[in-house]
Amino acid sequence: MTTRRRTTALIGDDNTVVVAGKSLTWRTLHKLPQLPSPAAVLVDNGADALAALRHHAVHGTELLVATSSRVDEYMREELGESGFSIVLPDGKVTPATLKRVEESGRAWLLTSGSTGRPKRIGHTLESLTTVTADQPPRTWLLPYSPGTYAWWQVVMISLTQPDQGLVVIEPHELEDWPLIAARHGVTAASGTPTFWRQAIYRDAEALAAVPLEQITLGGEPVDQAILDQLHDLFPKARISWIYASSEVGASIVVHDGKAGFPREWLQRAPDPDRPMLSVEGDELVIRSPHHGAGLVGAVHTGDRIEYDGDRVLITGRLDTDEINVGGSKVSAGVVRGVLMAHPGVAWARVFARKAPLVGRMVAAEVVTNDSLGPIADVDLVQWCSSRLPDYGVPRRIKFLDEIPQKETLKSDV
Amino acid sequence: MSSVARDRVRELMGEVMTAQGRSLPADDSAELRTIGFRSLDFSELALRVEDELDDELNFDAPGLRRIATIGDVLDFIEQLQSA
Repeated sequence: MTTRRRTTALIGDDNTVVVAGKSLTWRTLHKLPQLPSPAAVLVDNGADALAALRHHAVHGTELLVATSSRVDEYMREELGESGFSIVLPDGKVTPATLKRVEESGRAWLLTSGSTGRPKRIGHTLESLTTVTADQPPRTWLLPYSPGTYAWWQVVMISLTQPDQGLVVIEPHELEDWPLIAARHGVTAASGTPTFWRQAIYRDAEALAAVPLEQITLGGEPVDQAILDQLHDLFPKARISWIYASSEVGASIVVHDGKAGFPREWLQRAPDPDRPMLSVEGDELVIRSPHHGAGLVGAVHTGDRIEYDGDRVLITGRLDTDEINVGGSKVSAGVVRGVLMAHPGVAWARVFARKAPLVGRMVAAEVVTNDSLGPIADVDLVQWCSSRLPDYGVPRRIKFLDEIPQKETLKSDV
Repeated sequence: MSSVARDRVRELMGEVMTAQGRSLPADDSAELRTIGFRSLDFSELALRVEDELDDELNFDAPGLRRIATIGDVLDFIEQLQSA
């Protein structure tokens, strides 16, 4: 096992890290026993995940870190056959069934699984460090599930930059995170649009009490309504949305408060340090300097785009976004955007439903807020009818009591 | 399979029309073309019936037929439920 020290990765070693209410630093986090390499470290709390990451940064061991709930028995077996020893939350180690030489410095990520079973993507601390410019002092919220690309993005800012504190939010704290964030002076937070919608829906006043200067959204299509709501609550904060994935890394970063990205970005001159964006058919294609191992060249993202004036909107996954209603095609993402723009709607999911005569019809699940009083499906149908072609209007609308959210902070929209 | 009564199907048909900002005439012989009940509306009605039944209607069973009036729609849905 190598003991190569990665000093460049530890500039933030004295940054504050708040876990379970305790204020520590990266350096004073509890130490894990010497980990095998390669190791898949399965955790049930954020502190253990950070400790595993620091161990990796110091020793250069080959590491995959993930919550134990995301790695089922079948996947554990697969990892063992790929040379990983499995380290369980209680510290028990199941040795790898395949012995192989470690890839020193390799960090493995599991994709979120939104497109099927989670895949393993190889990175290094360098390829996961996409924020390299000096940052103003900040305290970051860390609500993401350990081991996801978004989690790595936030923790790498804290580990590689001075004055970038972290406040870890465990899954059982997600409902009350604004109170915890306000208590610890969180000034920057990154979350999915679902995460932000839930926070506004549950208690907008508590959210507004967090002294946020930087708000970041990613992981799901970002619509104008959520950007506007956040701007209303935090008029002085910088609001950014990021298109990032385990495969292509952080490839699109938009700070102008608008949904989508400028169309002119599709014509940018090639630059080896900057992701190249293009469109094939309706699909977003990216060549990224932040890509995972083996993904060099153009990556077909599977995400569908739609032009809206001088903007390019990312509306959703190609295989689920397009709904064919009797030969007329409509984007679920566009319909969702119309529903979300209704002032009484806090969250919406739009999907195809099998129907006679037309094959598929547009259906929706909706969570309303109480700003306009009770809302009926007729109100939403009429709202959509004046903004969409008739085949794009959701004909069956189900009202849910609360916004559903998965461990990845997404809601399958 | 349980079934949705003809009167209830008529009520559901009225709900489809109301959602579109129109109303359903009381006369079963009213022409669908005249009242603006289109294929999308018929499909929505079928989904509403399926939701009440908590089961899918079997559209493969009945033969092709002309559906021109409100009464034809009610007959057809009745026939689908007994198929």
